[in-house]
Amino acid sequence: MTIDDLIQCPQYSVPQKEKEASLLAELTRLGQSHRERSPEYARLTRVMFPGSSEPHSLAELPYLPVALFKEHLLSSIPESEVFRILQSSGTTGQVPSRVVLDRETAQLQTLALSRIMTSILGPDRLPMILVETPDLIRDHRQFNARAAGLLGMINFGRNHLYALDSNLELLLPKLKEFLQRFGGEPFLIFGFTFLVWTRFYQPLANAGLDLSHGILVHSGGWKNLQEQAVSAARFRTALREAMGLTRVYNFYGMVEQVGSVFLEGDDGYFYPPNFADVIVRDPYTFEEVPHGQTGVLEVLSALPRSYPGHCLLTEDLGVVHGVDTCTCGRFGKAFSVLGRIPQAELRGCSDVIAAKVG
Amino acid sequence: MKIEMLLPRPQMAELDDLHGLLASMSPAEPFDEPTLDAAVDLSQRIFHDPEARSYPELLALAYWMRKSEIIRLRDQFRSLQLDHRVLTPLGIVFHLPPRNVDTMFVYSWLLAALTGNRSVIRLSPQRAETVNILVRLLRETLAVTAGPARIGTIIVSYGHEEEPTKRLSALCDMRVIWGGDETVGLIRRFPLAPHAREITFPDRYSLSAIRAEAYAGLSEEKRDHLADQFFNDSFWFDQLACSSPRLVVWCGIASETRAASEDFFPRVAKSVDRRQYTLPAAASMQKLVFACSSILNSPVEECRRFKGLTVLTLSSLESFQRRHPGGGLFLEARVGSLLDLPAVLCRRDQTLTCFGFTQEELLAFVRSLNGRAIDRIVPIGQALQFHRFWDGYDLIQEFCRHIHIDSALLDAPATHMSRAAEARTHFGFNGLNPARNRS
Repeated sequence: MTIDDLIQCPQYSVPQKEKEASLLAELTRLGQSHRERSPEYARLTRVMFPGSSEPHSLAELPYLPVALFKEHLLSSIPESEVFRILQSSGTTGQVPSRVVLDRETAQLQTLALSRIMTSILGPDRLPMILVETPDLIRDHRQFNARAAGLLGMINFGRNHLYALDSNLELLLPKLKEFLQRFGGEPFLIFGFTFLVWTRFYQPLANAGLDLSHGILVHSGGWKNLQEQAVSAARFRTALREAMGLTRVYNFYGMVEQVGSVFLEGDDGYFYPPNFADVIVRDPYTFEEVPHGQTGVLEVLSALPRSYPGHCLLTEDLGVVHGVDTCTCGRFGKAFSVLGRIPQAELRGCSDVIAAKVG
Repeated sequence: MKIEMLLPRPQMAELDDLHGLLASMSPAEPFDEPTLDAAVDLSQRIFHDPEARSYPELLALAYWMRKSEIIRLRDQFRSLQLDHRVLTPLGIVFHLPPRNVDTMFVYSWLLAALTGNRSVIRLSPQRAETVNILVRLLRETLAVTAGPARIGTIIVSYGHEEEPTKRLSALCDMRVIWGGDETVGLIRRFPLAPHAREITFPDRYSLSAIRAEAYAGLSEEKRDHLADQFFNDSFWFDQLACSSPRLVVWCGIASETRAASEDFFPRVAKSVDRRQYTLPAAASMQKLVFACSSILNSPVEECRRFKGLTVLTLSSLESFQRRHPGGGLFLEARVGSLLDLPAVLCRRDQTLTCFGFTQEELLAFVRSLNGRAIDRIVPIGQALQFHRFWDGYDLIQEFCRHIHIDSALLDAPATHMSRAAEARTHFGFNGLNPARNRS
């Protein structure tokens, strides 16, 4: 299967073995093309992964740590072909990642995301609630990963309602109006996990609204919510019980591989689309670990054409639970993300009173 | 303001009272018996404490302050005492040990105490278990110590508050700042008394040099041993101790150095494996990012990755970066001879651990540097072994005031000018031969 076939055929429909064979051929070819066009990537793979030009499995493909995109602008295209440079949101004080896109890659990303989303939304645009403030995309200085994510999703809906005001307070009357008009047919809700919980679910917990026709797509991670002891399971149960919302899909993705998102199946595990995959590696030896064992997630995607980001070692921990075993009919690896690798402090002579004196 | 005191006994103490407490403590004679006994007693307690014994760095400390070593230090000190130059305590020494090399505060304290000083030591509230063990054992030791040493030591613990550092800096006679550039910069904002002095231990970089030809001459067994010693130097403190090597320089012709390196690092990897060294996932990832970044920024021509050990081969040492992630990553490079090295070294370079060089080569190397770099040269395996000579200081002499008595006054009974003049001409000679001077 070619990359076009993998994108075009129904997502999650290719058994793992077949997919790995197609992806291996595609990613090997893609790697070779990046080596030819990016001297940095050629140098990195030659020195770090000698003898990797003919890999026998996806795990043998050279991978780059995702943090490298913070320190280096790795590009496989001449400057004249740069269509856009994506930047990660990066909290204050952190260096953001920078990812170079050309038109081809940007188009592939859009197409790929749409193929993934239509697998749960169907072919038509649905009325859409955005758990966001319109300020997010009005203010261009704030154009970050959150805004980019929103813009990526907005195309899957119509009759958009921004459910939050500029103080991130829920606009209840407007929401009720929306539900009156569209609540009886399928509609889409999109938002970042933390905002959905604190600004949407919590104010509505006892409001008795019926959102049973809604399809919620959310992303952004559990870190902030874990502090409030909200697990994925509690999140789902609470939304079901409070407003009848049963179709809830979290997705896992990153700015370094836009379009190549991992959407939750009905069993609560993430699934790679046909043109992407995950590998779990031991953080110490970097060998692939057996399924069921926790390690660092590597994400693979056939989309990145303009930058060598097709095999990336993330800073997230994850675990693969099974392959082609989904009860909901999805093929591929079922995995979960356990959050960031915990920061660790090594010993050493430095740092008596640390940098915090005064 | 109240701060936590850990020694003499655990209690909250008023900062204002510390001053009185320190002033009330009388200084001891340098190397007096009770202080020597206390050192040996602490060493014994570490050896016999079931908890302490499980930490190799505590055993190394205990070994370093065993009786024969303390006696040797005393004898070295005696040889420094001259009739016309008497070493006396400074008074109160304020120690700011590094938070992460757990044992360092004991070394710092011990040399100050042996030379008769009173000490006040600041420890972080975030203490490793080893530090708590050492504080407990030191408390037990001092409880049975006689004389001024018994009450001459205070340990306080506080976090990021400025006030205690400010007050203790103002009242001490000497301040010792371990812990890197940033800490030195921060602490230096707090003035000392005009007469007080200070020694600082800023960020350092350390390296190893191995003569490939000498390495080739080693038996299998000796190569394994050398690799194991190298492991100890590097991995005990996750390669972040200032004296742990980060760069390995091979000396010799290319074919020899290549062969030596290819034989050596797999043996180091074996030690890493055998000692079951592991890193937190985040540190291991940092190492990987560092390796990739180095490949893009530096003339790295090869990267060898073993379990827990990464080796980056540089084609040139010119303007090489001393940034380092720790955790078992080595840069390596080749030079023709040790004398090619000074050109790329700088003030920040501290310890050279080496193997296979002659005395002449080492002396020529030091003379060629002429003080620009390198404070310590030790065999591979002794990078972490603490010594009175550290970072270019002789700590025993640093912890003392040097009182000079004009030799003219030493000729008793007072006699005519010619004898005094004769004594002066002997000054240099006496200085080199103290034993004769005392007889």
